Amino acid sequence: MLSPTLITVALAAAMIGALAGVLGSFLVLRGQSLLGDVIAHASLPGVVAAFLISGGRGFFAILAGALIAGALAGLSVQALRRGAGVKPDAALGVVLSLFFAAGVVLLTLAQTRGGSAGLTVFLFGQAASVLRADLLPMALVGGGVLVVLALFWKEFQFLAFDPEGARAQGLPVARLEVLLTLLIAVTIVLGLTLAGVVLMVALLIAPAVAARQWVRGLAPMVWLAALFGALAGTGGAVISAIGQGVATGPVMVLAAVALAALSLLLAPERGILARRTRQAQARKSLRGRQVLAALGGLESDHANPGYAGDQAMLDAYLGTDAGPVLARLQREGYVRPASLPPEPGARRWELTEAGRQRLEAPDA
Amino acid sequence: MNTLHEPHIACHVEDLTVSYRERPVLWDIDLDIPPGVMAAVVGPNGAGKSTLIKAILGLVPPVAGHVRVFGQPVAQARRRIAYVPQRQSVDWDFPATVRDVVLMGLYGKLGWLRRPGRAEKAKAQAALEQVGMQDYAARPISQLSGGQQQRVFIARALVQEADLLFLDEPMAGVDAVTEAAIVSLLKAQRDAGRTVVVVHHDLQTVARYFDWLVMLNQRIIAQGPVAEVYTEDNLRAAYGGQLALIGTLRLSDDA
Amino acid sequence: MLDAVALMILGTGALVAISGALLGTFLVLRGESMSGDAISHAIVLGIVLAWMLTGARAGVLPVAGAVLAGVGAVFGAQALARSKLLGQDAATGIVFPAMFALGVLLINLNARNLHLDIDTVLLGEIGFVWLNTVTIAGIDWPVAGVTLAAVGAVNVAVVALFWKEWKIAAFDPGLASALGLKPGAMGFLLLALTAATAVAAFDAVGVVLFLAFLIVPAVTGRLVAASVGGMLSVALLSGLAAVGIGYAAAFRADVSLGGGMALATGLGLLLALVASPRSGVVAAWVRRRALREEGLVAVLIAHLSAHEGTAEEAEESGPAALVGHLGWRPAHAQAVVAAALDRGVIRREGERLSLTEAGRALARAEVRRNDRRRALAD
Repeated sequence: MLSPTLITVALAAAMIGALAGVLGSFLVLRGQSLLGDVIAHASLPGVVAAFLISGGRGFFAILAGALIAGALAGLSVQALRRGAGVKPDAALGVVLSLFFAAGVVLLTLAQTRGGSAGLTVFLFGQAASVLRADLLPMALVGGGVLVVLALFWKEFQFLAFDPEGARAQGLPVARLEVLLTLLIAVTIVLGLTLAGVVLMVALLIAPAVAARQWVRGLAPMVWLAALFGALAGTGGAVISAIGQGVATGPVMVLAAVALAALSLLLAPERGILARRTRQAQARKSLRGRQVLAALGGLESDHANPGYAGDQAMLDAYLGTDAGPVLARLQREGYVRPASLPPEPGARRWELTEAGRQRLEAPDA
Repeated sequence: MNTLHEPHIACHVEDLTVSYRERPVLWDIDLDIPPGVMAAVVGPNGAGKSTLIKAILGLVPPVAGHVRVFGQPVAQARRRIAYVPQRQSVDWDFPATVRDVVLMGLYGKLGWLRRPGRAEKAKAQAALEQVGMQDYAARPISQLSGGQQQRVFIARALVQEADLLFLDEPMAGVDAVTEAAIVSLLKAQRDAGRTVVVVHHDLQTVARYFDWLVMLNQRIIAQGPVAEVYTEDNLRAAYGGQLALIGTLRLSDDA
Repeated sequence: MLDAVALMILGTGALVAISGALLGTFLVLRGESMSGDAISHAIVLGIVLAWMLTGARAGVLPVAGAVLAGVGAVFGAQALARSKLLGQDAATGIVFPAMFALGVLLINLNARNLHLDIDTVLLGEIGFVWLNTVTIAGIDWPVAGVTLAAVGAVNVAVVALFWKEWKIAAFDPGLASALGLKPGAMGFLLLALTAATAVAAFDAVGVVLFLAFLIVPAVTGRLVAASVGGMLSVALLSGLAAVGIGYAAAFRADVSLGGGMALATGLGLLLALVASPRSGVVAAWVRRRALREEGLVAVLIAHLSAHEGTAEEAEESGPAALVGHLGWRPAHAQAVVAAALDRGVIRREGERLSLTEAGRALARAEVRRNDRRRALAD
């Protein structure tokens, strides 16, 4: 049941998802995730204005309109922050809501003029509305973005890590920032028909966050984010194309967020589970050392190698039941139950030779 | 300006004034650092030490004044300058290996469109050996301790093979072993004929570590060889109200 | 002529503006504007889930669900960011779109039963509030207006009750907790009220346009006023004005009334940006010019004072030094010298500039001021 429509949709979604993952990585690393949200929302008036002016949904007209609006929004955020001293979060909120309001007004204007049925897809995205004829221009523009990114790869890497260091070496940081933001805006605009203005931000952020957890370098992160984005995009678009009346954006976003959630939990080095396990192990080995040290301390206190410590005393020392720790240490051969006849109701433990060695060894 | 202006001075600053929000934070700074010294810039909090370095490097625009490095404007002398920013100024959770960060030191020299190749990687490895981090090249930077982060940053500056090094508080928050290693590393750079300028916060160690001293408190209080400048009068002028703390210092030159 | 329909629409809009200004003022002060964005999106999931679990489409349950979802989105993102695996911005950028996407998807799947139009969630249509009315005291009131009035009354009461606490918590959370004012609980209350208000408002203006009323008037107030009270007054005024202006303009142009009102909040902001005596562009320009001139004269004085009585005095006090050493352009240097001569702090003898007694006093005063500031800073 591979209909041509489905192939078109899957191809487009894979392209957009991959591109969003790549550029989103830079947004995440520079701490500018919400700027992506603002640019996406703000492109709505541009889309509708382009429609009103050109009278149709031509690929390049919509692209140009959205891009102009998105760029204006980015500049407005800058101007509000630098020029008027508005705090960053407030500047983002102001620009997002005002541009979106302008979009809504223009949208109703387009509706009263008729023939705007295709415009509301930009709110949540509709995979089925992607035309076969859009694929080639989409690939060309997206490819162009990637080429520019590759050309300035090392500069963008430097900029994302240490803008001040980059400036000290004479790189034109301000201009590079504008270029990078422009590339991100183009990516957002390309994705609008699929993901919609409201949810596009998650398609940028989620694959990048997911990828970050598995890798140690920027290039691997970007490749993996592209893969995650393509997976989420294709999966979401195909599901939405098969299911009747399900908007594409939400499904794509949920797929991408699921990947991010799994990565945050399961990634081998950084993942939450791995970290918990490490912490538990560290705690366990610390407990073990504490018990060994306590037994050793009692030995030397009593000047009696082979002095057996009372378990109740160890309980009090650890502040919790020492039984499980002692059982483990016994399994590992570091302690043994005292061989002298125990007093009734008291359990005593003593260090083995291995335990004494472990106690003297530097931290393992 | 094409002609060289004071070419025999490593770093020549004349009448530099820098404002933040229209209020000057550095006043009419005249500064000369001769080549081949290891200089400390000291002064109380808010004295503008970091700002001075940033202004010299052209990262902060001055209201007035000019800077020459070996007689040239900074923009033309970038290849001869290396800069180690404060360690906390970047996100150490960034996905990069130690080698990636050191290679960034060569990005300015490489120019547009060229990628670091085998020669650059060899240079990076050599710089890491100088700071004793050669075994860490493939480590992600998020796994480094504070002292190791600082060594990586210094390696990034060393790989530039610059004649003039600026370091902003390289000894802040590192352990004693790292501090000693950094100092001997920087002294070796000086002995190789380079000029080292360090923003420093610990007056106790100034006389032991450095041979040139700049005392700053929004204005230049004093500058010159440590033995001449490190006097109680100058300290009083620079630190004013904080002098109670300094009173306990031994003002000896046991360098 | 204002008929009943127009009154209903304007009244509903005014209620959105009032609640928006009350809550937005504190959100903006706390630097949590984008939490408003997250909340207004996340409530959709809460409403849908409340409906799926209980079948209630109106009343207390959906509001409770929405409040839980809205506050949950903000705190969820904060908790996620605490893992240090991702930044606060990225956490927000994942959590609320995920909740919104799930909400939209559930609406999509249950479209036949839920009667909740997804475009309405996003855009609202204040022009249709008169279609759904209740009769109280013999008069037809729009349901949206009644809900908003109820929520608004709670907002007014809470803000009046906790005015002092919210003010301190916004400026200095550390001080607030030292005083035992529970800034955490106050923050929670603010977010919960924002979520409840967003639920009440989204039928009328949609979630994104509500955001405009929440943030834009408050930022306008922040630009104009120096006190929290002044900020709130300006926010209320500009929000209410936006409702009136937006209605009139949108009605004439035959476009979305809610969109028009939301867009009109931008007019107040624009006016403040240009003309506010505190931080407007005009005032800032005038002030900067004056300050700059004063600052530059001070630089000149400092320069002359630093070299007074030294061997280089002759070289440093000529116009060549100003151009060569200070790096000023000749015209620039000339203007600064003229300003300094005007103020009588320097005098000119041929090529040489020197300080007058007043100039010397000024230089000394500046040194002393710096010393004092330093002493205070330490």
